[in-house]
Amino acid sequence: MATSKAQTSAVRLEGITKRFGDVVANDDIDFTLERGEVHALLGENGSGKTTLMSVLYGLYDQNAGTIHVDGEPRSFDSPRDAMDAGVGMIHQHFQLVEPMTVLQNVVLGHEPTENGLVDESAARAEIEEISSRYDFDVDEYLDTPVRDLDLGTRQRVEIVKSLYRGAEILILDEPTAVLTPQEVEGLFDVMDELTAAGRSLIFITHKLDEGLTAADRVTVLRDGAAVGTVPADGTTEQELARMMVGREILFDRQPRETNPGDPVLEAAELRVRGDRGLERVTDVDLTVREGEILGIAGVQGNGQTELAEALTGLRPVESGTVRFGGEDITGMSRRRRIEAGIAYVPEDRQTEGLVQDYDLVRNALLGNQTIEPYASGGFVDWTAVREHAENIVEEYDVQPPNPDTEASSLSGGNQQKFIVGREIEHDPDVIVAAHPTRGVDIGSIEFIHDRLLELREAGLAIVFVSSKLEEIQKLSDRIAVMYEGEFIDTADPEDVTEEELGLLMAGHRHEADDESAADATEDAPEGGASS
Amino acid sequence: MSGSDSSRGRAALDRAAARMLNASVLQRLAIATASTALALVVGLVVVAAAGYDPIDFIANVFEGAFGDDAAVSRTLKFTTIFILTGVAVAIAFRAGVFNIGVQGQFVVGGFATVMSILWLAPFLPENAVGGVGLIVLGTLAGIVAGGAYAALPGVLKAYGGANEIITTIMLNFIAVGVVGWLVEGPLRGEGNRAPNTERIPEYVEFPSIVYDSPDFSVVGLAVALAVVVIVAVVVARTRFGYDMVTSGHQESAATYSGVDAKRTIVTTMAFSGMVAGVAGAVFAIMIQGYYSDPSGVGTYGFDAIAVSLLAANNPVGVVPAGLLFGGLDSAGAHIGLNSDVPVQLIDGIVGLVVLFVSAPELFRMAAARTGLGGDDR
Repeated sequence: MATSKAQTSAVRLEGITKRFGDVVANDDIDFTLERGEVHALLGENGSGKTTLMSVLYGLYDQNAGTIHVDGEPRSFDSPRDAMDAGVGMIHQHFQLVEPMTVLQNVVLGHEPTENGLVDESAARAEIEEISSRYDFDVDEYLDTPVRDLDLGTRQRVEIVKSLYRGAEILILDEPTAVLTPQEVEGLFDVMDELTAAGRSLIFITHKLDEGLTAADRVTVLRDGAAVGTVPADGTTEQELARMMVGREILFDRQPRETNPGDPVLEAAELRVRGDRGLERVTDVDLTVREGEILGIAGVQGNGQTELAEALTGLRPVESGTVRFGGEDITGMSRRRRIEAGIAYVPEDRQTEGLVQDYDLVRNALLGNQTIEPYASGGFVDWTAVREHAENIVEEYDVQPPNPDTEASSLSGGNQQKFIVGREIEHDPDVIVAAHPTRGVDIGSIEFIHDRLLELREAGLAIVFVSSKLEEIQKLSDRIAVMYEGEFIDTADPEDVTEEELGLLMAGHRHEADDESAADATEDAPEGGASS
Repeated sequence: MSGSDSSRGRAALDRAAARMLNASVLQRLAIATASTALALVVGLVVVAAAGYDPIDFIANVFEGAFGDDAAVSRTLKFTTIFILTGVAVAIAFRAGVFNIGVQGQFVVGGFATVMSILWLAPFLPENAVGGVGLIVLGTLAGIVAGGAYAALPGVLKAYGGANEIITTIMLNFIAVGVVGWLVEGPLRGEGNRAPNTERIPEYVEFPSIVYDSPDFSVVGLAVALAVVVIVAVVVARTRFGYDMVTSGHQESAATYSGVDAKRTIVTTMAFSGMVAGVAGAVFAIMIQGYYSDPSGVGTYGFDAIAVSLLAANNPVGVVPAGLLFGGLDSAGAHIGLNSDVPVQLIDGIVGLVVLFVSAPELFRMAAARTGLGGDDR
C-alpha cells in the first residue's frame, strides 16, 4: 500500500475543461503534481489558474476531465470532501474568524471532543506539535485573537489549520500577494519544510521570479489552456514571460505614417499607491500626443492598473502631476475628467465597466450621467440613451443585438465591444485602454484593434496597456516597459524584438543606457509642440 | 457523513439563492402574496391551537380592516404612515445603504413639525390660510429635521467608516430619549398632566373629506401617494436616482462612471430621512395634533423595514405593502377590543406575517451580499 502510494502522483488532472456560459475558463488542461514537490501554476489573472484549482478543490464541477488524487479517481462535491481526502487550499483572502483566537480558528469545525466538550488541551498539544515540527512559530500565539496578528502569521495559521485537518496536498493561491518581502522569504522556508516532510504543494502565482525560486516545476497557463510544464532549474524568467503572454500570429504590424501632434495627456514624476498602501507607481513620466498610441508593456501587476487609474481619476496620486491639454488635472475628479474627454476602457469589465444586472440600455448611461443629450438638468432622457445603446450594439456588432439584454448574459468579448463602443462614442480626446482584449475572442480582438487604429488616424491620443507583446508591437507608436512600478525603458516598436521586450518585461534593463531609461517622454525636444 | 450532508445543504442553499436572485418582479410579487397567505394559515393554526375559533378570528380580521367606515379610515390612517416610512426605507435599501433609523428620523421629523407650528402660529393669521401655511412650514421643518438626522449617520459611514446599521439604531434611541425628555420637561405644554407638548391650533389640520374621522384624512393619503410618485420618478428618471441605484447594485461600476460614492451615501441617507420626516409631519398633524413621549408613538419606522422588504424595495410596491400592514394593524386594534383573543396573540400573528413576507426578500439581499448563488455575479 505504502509503496504503491509513493509511486503514484499526488494529483493528476486530465483534460479538465470548465466553462462559464460561453467563456471557457479551462480548456482541456492536464496537470500533474508529484509527491513532495512544489509545483508552480503560473499565469496572468484570468488565465484560469484559480478556476483549475477550484475544480480540484471541489468548488466547481468540471464540464469534462478527470481528477486523480493519490492514484484514485476522485470528484469532490465540496471543499469539505476535498479536505477529507487530504487536499487543503490556502485562499488569497484568509478564511479566519478575526475575533477568535488562533487555537479556536484552527480547530473550528474539527474540535476534538471529550464527553461532548471541546478538549482544548488535546487540541493545544496537537497544534504545538505541528507548529514545532515545521518551525511555524505559531504556538506562542495560540491564545491571541487573529485580528492582532500580522498577515504573514495569519497565513501560517491558515497552513497550520490545513495541516491540522490532515492536508497532504496544499494549494496556495497567490500566497505572496499580501506579504512583505521578508514574509515571502519566511513563506518559502515553510514551503521547503513541508515538502521535506513529504507534503506536496501547488503554488499559484503570476510572479515569474517567485515561480522559479520556490518551485520545482512550473506549469504555465494562458487564456485557459496549459502552455507547457518546465523544470524551474534551467528555465529563465524571460522564457516564462514568453510562455505566459504568448504569441499570436495574427498580429502583423501594418506600415503606417507617424505624425503626432500636440501633447494631450502628460504625467510627470507620478507616484501612486496601490490598494494595500504600497507604492505601485514610482516616478513615472509620460506624454501621449494627438494621433499616437503609447503602448505600456509589462507583466501584469507591475503598476499598470494603478497608473491607468491615476490618469483617469479613479485613484489619487501620491505626488507628481497629470496634465491634460496643458492644464493641470492632478486633483480633478473622475466625473470632471470624463466630461473633459478622458475615456477609460477599464481593466475589469465585470465589476467596473458594466453593471452586471443592468440591461445594455441602462449600461449605456454609465459614465454619461452628465453628458447631453442623455441627461440634462438632472433628468435622464431614456429615449436618447436607448438610441445610444442601439447604436453601440449595431456599430460594434454586439451579440445578441438586443439592447434589453442583461449585461451579465453577454460573453466577455461582446461585453468588451460594448464598453469600447460606449467609451469611444463619448468623442473623447484621449483613451486609456487597459488590457482591452484580455479574454476576448480573436474576432473581437481584431475589431478592437482596428477601432483603436482608426481613432489614432482620427487624431486621438491613446494609452494602450497590455501584456501581450504582439499587440503592443502591432498597435504602438512608442512602447514604455513597466516593471515594478517604473518605466524601465522605452522601445521603438519598429525594431525591438520580442526577445528584447520579454527581457525588459522580466525586469532586465538595457545595461548600456540604464540612466536614460526610465522615461517615456518623447525623445524629441519639447520646445516646438508644447502648448 | 455529516460533511457530505452539510455540503448538500450548502448546494441546496446555493441553488435556492440563485433562484431568488434571478426571480423576476412578478415572481417576487407572487412570492410575497403566497408568503402572506401562508403566514395567515399558520396564524390560524396557532389561533385554533390556543383554543379560539379560527373562522371567527379571520372574520374579525376582515371586519377590523375593512368592515365599516371607521375600520377603513383606521386602515388607511395606518397605511398612510406605512407608505411614507416604507418609501423612506426603500430609498436607502435600493442604494445599498441600510437605514434602520427611519423610526428615529420619523420621531425627530414629527417633533420638529409640531414645535415649528407652535412657534410660528402667532405670526400667521388664525384661519384656514394660516393653517395651510403652518402645515407647509411645519412639514418643511419635519423634512429638514428628518433629513439632517439621517445625514449624520451617512456622514459617519462615508467619511468615518462607521457601520450605518449600528449608528442608525443608536440614533433611534437618542431620538426617543431626547424628544422624550423634552416633552417630559422643558417643552411640556402648560398644565398638561401627560408628557405632551401643547396642541397645535385647531385650524392646523387636514380636512377630513371622505370619512368623518378625527385622525384620518385623504389629504394625508394623497401626500403619501404624491411622495411615492416623486420618489419613483427620482429613482427611475433622474441622474441622482441612477447614481444612487447604481451605487447600490455595483459600487465599483458607479465609481468608474464618476459617481462620488461617499457623497452618494450621504445624499441617499438624507433623501431617505427627508421622506421619514414627511411621515413624521403627517403623523403629527393628521393623527396626533401634538407630540407625546416617542416611546409610545408606534413603531412605524421599524415596521417600515418589513413594508419595504415586502415591496422588494420598490417605491410603488410600497403602496400595496403599506395597505397590507395598515390592514393588519387596524384588524389588530379591532380584535383587541371586540374579541376575547388576547392581544399578544394578534401581535404574534402580525409578527408571523412580517417574518414570512420579509424572509424571502431578506434572503435575497443577504445572498446578493454574500455571494451565495454563484460567484460569477
